[in-house]
Amino acid sequence: MRILIVDDSSTMRRIIGNVVMQLGFSRDDFDEAEDGVKAWKILGENQYDIILTDWNMPNMNGLELVKKVRSEGNHQKVPIIMITTEGGKGEVITALKAGVNNYIVKPFSADILKEKLDGVLK
Amino acid sequence: MSMSQEEIEALMSGLDIPEDESVAEEETPVETNSDNETMSEDDIADLIAQTEIQDEQIESVPEDNADEISVDIEENISEDNIEEIINNIEESPDEEVSNENIEDILAGIEGMDESEPEPKSVPKPTIPDNCPTPVKVDSEAIAKDWTDDKIDQGVFPFPVGKDTKVVNQLSEVATDSEEKASKIFDVLSFILDENNEIQKNSRALDDFLAKQIVLLDSLGKKFPNIGAFKSNLELAQSLQGMPKDIISRTDAENSQLFEAMELMQFHDINRQKIERVMSVIKKLSTYLNNLFEDDTDYSDVAVAKHIHGDTNSNLVDEEDLDALIAEFGN
Repeated sequence: MRILIVDDSSTMRRIIGNVVMQLGFSRDDFDEAEDGVKAWKILGENQYDIILTDWNMPNMNGLELVKKVRSEGNHQKVPIIMITTEGGKGEVITALKAGVNNYIVKPFSADILKEKLDGVLK
Repeated sequence: MSMSQEEIEALMSGLDIPEDESVAEEETPVETNSDNETMSEDDIADLIAQTEIQDEQIESVPEDNADEISVDIEENISEDNIEEIINNIEESPDEEVSNENIEDILAGIEGMDESEPEPKSVPKPTIPDNCPTPVKVDSEAIAKDWTDDKIDQGVFPFPVGKDTKVVNQLSEVATDSEEKASKIFDVLSFILDENNEIQKNSRALDDFLAKQIVLLDSLGKKFPNIGAFKSNLELAQSLQGMPKDIISRTDAENSQLFEAMELMQFHDINRQKIERVMSVIKKLSTYLNNLFEDDTDYSDVAVAKHIHGDTNSNLVDEEDLDALIAEFGN
């Protein structure tokens, strides 16, 4: 299984990567991108089974990336989990309407991510 | 407050008064009043008197005395006397002015030179209080000290600079803490990797010990007379728990490391809070700039220092005004 982690914070990418590794994935199982533009480029080059993306990022934010992935390219059916500090009800609804499969508010624990991953991968 | 090198140089250049030094070297010890006080008529008269006295001493011969001497010469020296004097002068060189005498005279001259009091050391130039430049520097220093005090007390904000611009500082904090967090993560990852390696080796050691225990047990049963098998079996059994203990401890340590890694999410959360503050400040700055922006061709005009209604002790009332006008008689 291939995972794409999209976050402008290198620390957050590493945290998510570590959590993913705790769940039994290896370092080779996931790639990283620091904004939506780079994520979109990587998505055009490789095939992924799940996308974990932040919301607030420079150049192209997570919401724009979700809309783009859902509307074009070859990852339209791929599960997307948004991991963000945006914890407002309105934001969650906006993200779900854009096509996000699940939503995690930072800070989160490994158990939460595992639960959400299991949920979208079923 | 510490001074910068530029301030020190500025201060030094303000005190650098070579012209005064040269003046000081040339000056005779005539009493001069270096104070900033205005001189009274009496002082001026005294100074003039001193100067006249010195002039008289330099001339050494008062005019009255000179007149008397010239009268005496005219009276006493007749033409005969003059001839006698001339004769004496013509005779005297051979008799009286010998080489020894010349040397004595020269020695005397040199001795005079040596015995002459040494010129007084040039007094260090003192900075008169009425010197304009140092006064300006002092006032600047006083103003700077006062401002620094106010900044220290928190009354005034820090002057605008690269290190004090709010958005710059916040951006720097966010970027710097991101770098440091990444380094902390490197350290945590390193410990995690090392723990995994220790656990791997501990498992291998545990397997080896288990096999050794089986082997020594069978050897001990087969050769009960050999004590080494028995003692080694006991030692292996006592060590058997250690690899498991190491694995257990490193597991607990890894849990702590994962918890620390999870807590580092707050770095990202705090960074975003900082970015939110930066955004507010930037918008506020733009708004205030627009608010105070002046589109007219406004140029600075002279502003009144004392306006009616000010609580200022320098304000004049009608009486003061009339008195001043009357005093000047204009």
